[in-house]
Amino acid sequence: MTRRALLGLRSPLLAIAGVLAALIAWQLWAERSDPFYVPTTTEIFGAAWSLWRDPDFLSDAAESLERLAAGFLIGSAIGIGVGLLMGSSSRVRRALEPLVDLLRSTPPIAIAPALLIIAGFGNGMRVPLIAFGVCFPVLLNTVDGVRAVSSEVRDTASMLHIGRLDRTVRIYFPAALPSIVTGLRIAISVALVLVVVAEFVGEGGGLGGYLEVAAARSEFPEVYACILFLGLIGYVLNRFFVLVERHLLAWHYGAVGEQPA
Amino acid sequence: MNSQPEESPVLRVERLGKRYATDGTFALEDVTFDVREGELLAVVGPSGCGKTTLLRILCGLTKPTAGAVLLDGRPIVGPPREVSLVFQDYSRSLFPWLTVLRNVMFPLRGSGLSKEGKIAQAEAVLREMGLNDVGTKYPWQLSGGMQQRVAIARALVSHPEVLVLDEPFASVDALTRAELQDVLLRVHSTREGRAATVVHVTHDIDEAVYLADRVLVLSPPPGRVVDTIGVGLPRPREQTSTRSSAEFLTVRNEIHTLIASENALRSSLSADR
Amino acid sequence: MNAERARYAGERVNVSGWLVVVLVALAAELAIPGLNLEDTVARPSQALTTLVSELRAGPLRDEIGATLSAYLQGLAIAIAVGVVAGVAIGSSRTLLETSSGVIEFLRPVPAVALIPLATYAMGFDTEMRRFLVAYAAVWPILFNTLYGVRGVDRMLYDVARTSGASRLGVLVRVTLPASLPSIATGIRISASLALLVCVTVEYWTQTAGLGAYMHEQYGAIRYDEVYAAVLLTALIGYVVNVVLRSTERRALFWVGEERRAA
Repeated sequence: MTRRALLGLRSPLLAIAGVLAALIAWQLWAERSDPFYVPTTTEIFGAAWSLWRDPDFLSDAAESLERLAAGFLIGSAIGIGVGLLMGSSSRVRRALEPLVDLLRSTPPIAIAPALLIIAGFGNGMRVPLIAFGVCFPVLLNTVDGVRAVSSEVRDTASMLHIGRLDRTVRIYFPAALPSIVTGLRIAISVALVLVVVAEFVGEGGGLGGYLEVAAARSEFPEVYACILFLGLIGYVLNRFFVLVERHLLAWHYGAVGEQPA
Repeated sequence: MNSQPEESPVLRVERLGKRYATDGTFALEDVTFDVREGELLAVVGPSGCGKTTLLRILCGLTKPTAGAVLLDGRPIVGPPREVSLVFQDYSRSLFPWLTVLRNVMFPLRGSGLSKEGKIAQAEAVLREMGLNDVGTKYPWQLSGGMQQRVAIARALVSHPEVLVLDEPFASVDALTRAELQDVLLRVHSTREGRAATVVHVTHDIDEAVYLADRVLVLSPPPGRVVDTIGVGLPRPREQTSTRSSAEFLTVRNEIHTLIASENALRSSLSADR
Repeated sequence: MNAERARYAGERVNVSGWLVVVLVALAAELAIPGLNLEDTVARPSQALTTLVSELRAGPLRDEIGATLSAYLQGLAIAIAVGVVAGVAIGSSRTLLETSSGVIEFLRPVPAVALIPLATYAMGFDTEMRRFLVAYAAVWPILFNTLYGVRGVDRMLYDVARTSGASRLGVLVRVTLPASLPSIATGIRISASLALLVCVTVEYWTQTAGLGAYMHEQYGAIRYDEVYAAVLLTALIGYVVNVVLRSTERRALFWVGEERRAA
């Protein structure tokens, strides 16, 4: 998506000013208002700073990231694999379409209790949950990508007598890559949400677990700080994908004459 | 012309018909013609006459609903290895994620050549196309004319028996078109026997006459063979001298008249309904 | 004409696809007792019959109502706020640039992370659930509206203004319709996200709704009921999806291509 091109931000100054204004406004409001659950900006940043230096918190973060990575990789692999299959064969696509439709509209939380029953409270429940949520955006975008392959490319593949598997891997997969990467970007934010869900529903641990505990102990600056860290992780992951896109898909942007967001 | 009618043709199209399943209309009806060894056959006709459908059937990409195509006497089942196709839209047929060299090398997969051998063969055909230093570039970094040369190079790299082109010069400007026409003529003249066989589909009658040994004229839909006109112009051909010669104008006008009268015939038929 | 209608009807009923669904259900039906999984996984038939009897009994119906009301209300709020804010920000360059920093940082925060906090701020009633649903749903809608507005062809504005439309008129009669495809995509993404958040909140806080029901049944080791709830939630999600898609198709019949994301 040509996000920057559309938004066309002239300079970061206004954006930074906006952020500062928001932080100051929050500070003022928090100081004057009563609710105990609204810490001031300074308190929040103070908590964030000490959490950043706290090895226990960092290992919680690492735990969450591990689960996220595992679920994301498994879900993406399945999504891409099945997506390539469905995209390249209309028979397979029609056969699997209702099933995929049913599964993808199921909110992952719905399968959480079932996973709890089957796999208990640990990662056996968390990683499949994340993978389940990740696989569908990736699958759908993969299917779209393969279907969008031009008829000229398909005909070339037919005429060059490329075997089924070869065709899928060497032609459909690269051709669909722009679409697949879009799906992966969506999936990574889904994964982040589901890590938190999984940790809430499971036995805790990770950042979700920390959040629960801190809230239970009414340590509100820490709660907000943890939330901010989660947002930061989400932001970094997204930017990481933009970088990946830029490198992996340099050919695509050259071909269509755009710049990635 | 350098082919004898008594020799068996490379391709024989017999009573070919293609009927659309969706609405029952005929794209092609009772089309019969030969493609002779080593000839450059142009196919012309108005839009919608089924030129592209005919091409797709020749390349084994579509099955006819009637009749057959025989390659060396055997009916075609699926895309034959001996036939290569060049598309009109080069930007959608070349793989954007591969460099020019890799694009041209692609058909050589499974040929048993070593990597160096494949590179050498691809570079040779690129040089023949006049593309000397573009191997490491990506197709979209090249101009339209150069991209189409790459597409032709890719089609030629595996030494096909029949080169088929689907309105290949329609998407480039007039000057580039003239250049590419001459490129095609050079390809045709530097090859011998079967390897020189070309089927060139175009809507441009002048182009057809300039390039071809024979011109196959199709009618408005449903496409039938109106006539096959022999083009007796001497080779090598040249953009200015050939095109201004009297014989050129004669053949060209003959074809124009044929098509115009077919059009008139069709509209009077449909007016009667 | 007839061929066209026949083709359309063929598109509607995907026989082979639904057959696959039935086959999968049958396979599960047989495999579960076969592999001795009956203690942990309910057979599809069992889940279905339990669901039916639970629905008849009554309490489950109330829970469905509770979930749906929080969900739909939250979604409605999100649409209203998201579209208005998106149009406002999208139309004003200054506003866009100033708020972009804040939005970029708030956006990746998962709404579910706010659950513990929200319970303090709003207690455990419907208002809290509604707020969280709305908060989660507003971002995709806001962003997609924003992109939609920014992406509107400048020429359309010029045509509208020279035909004498006021600024508000341009907004309502040009900007909004032209941004509708983007907005629709945003709503579709939000709809599934919002349902997830809603049921997660209910599960975690054990207040009301399907999530609470699930948690309760799990705690009581009534696994058949748990699977019945899984089935129910899946069906609700599916219905929501189908309704959205057909509404979108009808409202946006003039759009050339549809893109699917999450």
